[in-house]
Amino acid sequence: MAVDAKSLIGSQAKPHHEMEAEELRKEHLLLDPMPREEMNQMVMDAMQTTTPRYWAFVIGFGLAVVVLLFGAWGYMIATGMGVAGIRRPVYWGIFIVSFVFWIGISHAGTFVSAILRVFKAEFRRPFTRAAELMTTFGLAAGALYPLIHLGRVWVFYWMIPYPNSRWLWPNFRSPLVWDFLAITTYLLSSTIYLFLPLIPDLAMARDRSKGWRYYLYRTLSLGWRGTEAEWFRLRKAIGIFAFAIIPVMFSVHTIVSWDFAVSMVAGWQSTIFGPYFIIGAILSGVSAVVTILYILRTTMKNFDYFIRPEVFDGLGKLILIFSMSWAYFFFNEYLLNWYGGTAVIKKILTLHATGPSAWVWYVMLICNVAIPWLFLWSKKVRRTPWLMFIITLLVNVGMFAERYTIIPLTLGHQRSPFDWGIYNPTIIEVSIVLGTLCLFIFLYLLASRIIPLIPVWEVQEGQMSHTLRKVGKTTMPSVTELE
Amino acid sequence: MDTNVRMILFKEDQIDHAAEAIETLHTQGIPEKDISVISGVPFSEKILGRPMSWTRVPQIALAGAFVGFLAASLLNFLTPNLYRMTVGGLPLTPIPTSIVVTFELTMLGLLISTFIGVFIETISPSYGPKGYHPKISDGYIGILFRCPTNVDEKTCLELQDLGAEIVNPAEVKQP
Amino acid sequence: MAENQNNEKWGMVIDLDICTGCQACVTACSMENNIHFVGEDEMAYGRGLQWMRIRRYWEGEYPEVKPTHEPMLCQQCGNAPCESVCPVFASVHSEQEQINLQVYNRCIGTRYCANNCPYLARTFNWFDYELPSPMNAYLNPDVSVRSRGVMEKCTFCVQRIVKGRQKASAEGREIQDGEVTPACAQACPTESITFGRLDDPESRVSRLARNDRGFRELEELGTEPRVTYLKGGMSYGG
Repeated sequence: MAVDAKSLIGSQAKPHHEMEAEELRKEHLLLDPMPREEMNQMVMDAMQTTTPRYWAFVIGFGLAVVVLLFGAWGYMIATGMGVAGIRRPVYWGIFIVSFVFWIGISHAGTFVSAILRVFKAEFRRPFTRAAELMTTFGLAAGALYPLIHLGRVWVFYWMIPYPNSRWLWPNFRSPLVWDFLAITTYLLSSTIYLFLPLIPDLAMARDRSKGWRYYLYRTLSLGWRGTEAEWFRLRKAIGIFAFAIIPVMFSVHTIVSWDFAVSMVAGWQSTIFGPYFIIGAILSGVSAVVTILYILRTTMKNFDYFIRPEVFDGLGKLILIFSMSWAYFFFNEYLLNWYGGTAVIKKILTLHATGPSAWVWYVMLICNVAIPWLFLWSKKVRRTPWLMFIITLLVNVGMFAERYTIIPLTLGHQRSPFDWGIYNPTIIEVSIVLGTLCLFIFLYLLASRIIPLIPVWEVQEGQMSHTLRKVGKTTMPSVTELE
Repeated sequence: MDTNVRMILFKEDQIDHAAEAIETLHTQGIPEKDISVISGVPFSEKILGRPMSWTRVPQIALAGAFVGFLAASLLNFLTPNLYRMTVGGLPLTPIPTSIVVTFELTMLGLLISTFIGVFIETISPSYGPKGYHPKISDGYIGILFRCPTNVDEKTCLELQDLGAEIVNPAEVKQP
Repeated sequence: MAENQNNEKWGMVIDLDICTGCQACVTACSMENNIHFVGEDEMAYGRGLQWMRIRRYWEGEYPEVKPTHEPMLCQQCGNAPCESVCPVFASVHSEQEQINLQVYNRCIGTRYCANNCPYLARTFNWFDYELPSPMNAYLNPDVSVRSRGVMEKCTFCVQRIVKGRQKASAEGREIQDGEVTPACAQACPTESITFGRLDDPESRVSRLARNDRGFRELEELGTEPRVTYLKGGMSYGG
């Protein structure tokens, strides 16, 4: 037997607390500081490295956007909405499902960069920008849908309030106009909230670039030097944004839910839709953040220093909590309708669970509830990035199925059985939905090489405020409030 | 009195030395308005013993919120009266629906004017010595000050004792 | 809208006990209102554009199976759920006729109104439907031909209402009861559809609406429909 019997004492070459300190350093980014120069270099490297594989993806997804999104959409505009699968009584189909889905995904960024910032959850520091980019691009994809699903999209601007000679203004009592205002507010606010903390990093990039990049960053960084006044002003602005954008985020998805809840459709008249949709959106969004972080970690250079398993761990716990909250709201609605609802609603619930499209309902429950509840308890699972990638992809599939259940399946089964109808999505609809997904990925691919994806100044700020402190016999992380 | 604009740099972990350097400058009689500190991460002014900066962004933000509120009130209560159309038994200008529009436009006003405030204050002229060095974004703390020529050399020697890196005036860049 | 002193309130009564389900009303309505033909496949997928449809249910066990017919059309609700949700005011309440108007050239096709109608009375133009000449010679010049992307629904033949009102005012008199008939009422072979002014308590339609057999569809939703159905079942010899 060639087994070395190592003595217990001899194997502990270092003192106990030093080993702990090393483990803590490996585990937590904020306890593992690197000189700022090196971190800057790593981020610039990641931003400026483009492999042939990257270009293949960019061209591929770009072509996909042109063909799947704009090609199919152009065909639909020229021919008519009839090429989609919508019909009477299901007048809203997979376009509105995708619309709600993308608006939900866009809650990711705000949750991470605003709510986690307000609650001082320090582990948010390396990925706030990646999440904020998701919000902006998710809204860009989602905001196309109110245009895509219009019968006469060429006169969409009648929904915009503008003075005209007929003195006609939009109907501010309609939830669709609220939608328009809310999404515009959220899109503009999100973009600005992405831009403000980006300014110091653009200044860093400006100092390290040449050519077109230098001119781009010089213009965008607004002459940033880093004076106290500049930092103070930025701090104040980010503070206002962080607190103000949270109610905006809640209101946007609540207003989207009111598209359904204020109507007379049986099964939609539910007061719980507001919070239910918000929780679903946060669940969907945080899962999408994990998906994207996994892809970033594996494909961008040097990102495994910044995005460590602790990030997946922390987000995984949040996903589990939100999955439970989602299940609470879902069960709330289900129980009340099942117990004392009108005959129409009881029939709709039966249809959801046993009808021809019942598999959608089961996909929703398995992906939103069963999978997170079974797997996200385990710390080991949460700290395995590729497992989290699969789990969060499935959560988003489940959330898409949830919206599909709420919209076409409920619309098809209203009060008069003579008018019941089954909705079959057509290839044009599926193509456009996939096209917006490709648009999201395409924009993200481009952004990953144009702006630095890691907010290095925030990471350094966090690293400066975290130290290791010897408490008793062990070493523990300690946080100083530098603000 | 002739003054030179000088810049010194401290590495990111030498915060204490930077604070002491600023004190040295104070004892040399250089007023606060002739010193400006630039850095790659925000340092609270108290850490370095500097007076608090001021900004008017919160007030601009509130003004913007008010403008948004006004715009929302006009849209909600004025526009339906221009061309009256009855819909679905709802009153012409119901309050519950107007709350939604008011909230959204107020928040839009607040957030856009915050950004406009930041932008305007950024492009407005600032006081204090100008100058920049790329090492700032590498985490260094830079102190710019207008030094009267008679105490120039003495000050620089004192600062170098504290561990500062004196930047040659020719190397001081603009952002 | 000009608010007249004598605003009319048009309404309809459909007697289900004498309706045979012959679909003459459906056909007449399609001809009067330039409703497009969508073809067999589209009809099967639920894309028919008919403004009036006969809801046919089978009742009973074999061999005593009986159909019940109910013509369903836009109920011209007093409290129409379709009106408040249109973002561009394409669905408005007419002050003068007290019916629900669909403004084709304002509609941008969000289809929110169609979802919100509990009677599913609204239809949508999915395509531009071609009518090769000389077929298009049969189109009624009083009614616009709708392009793709626009919602449409029964208008109580508002073009006939307006014509009747103009004729009456040109002759210096009131509209008489029974002078204005929509296409469906005109074509019905059993005369089960009665149309007239509900604001005149002595008109035929008002008296029929007060009948014991009368009920309104989905009245509990608070939509205040203008169509009253009369149904007595077997005990009235139906």
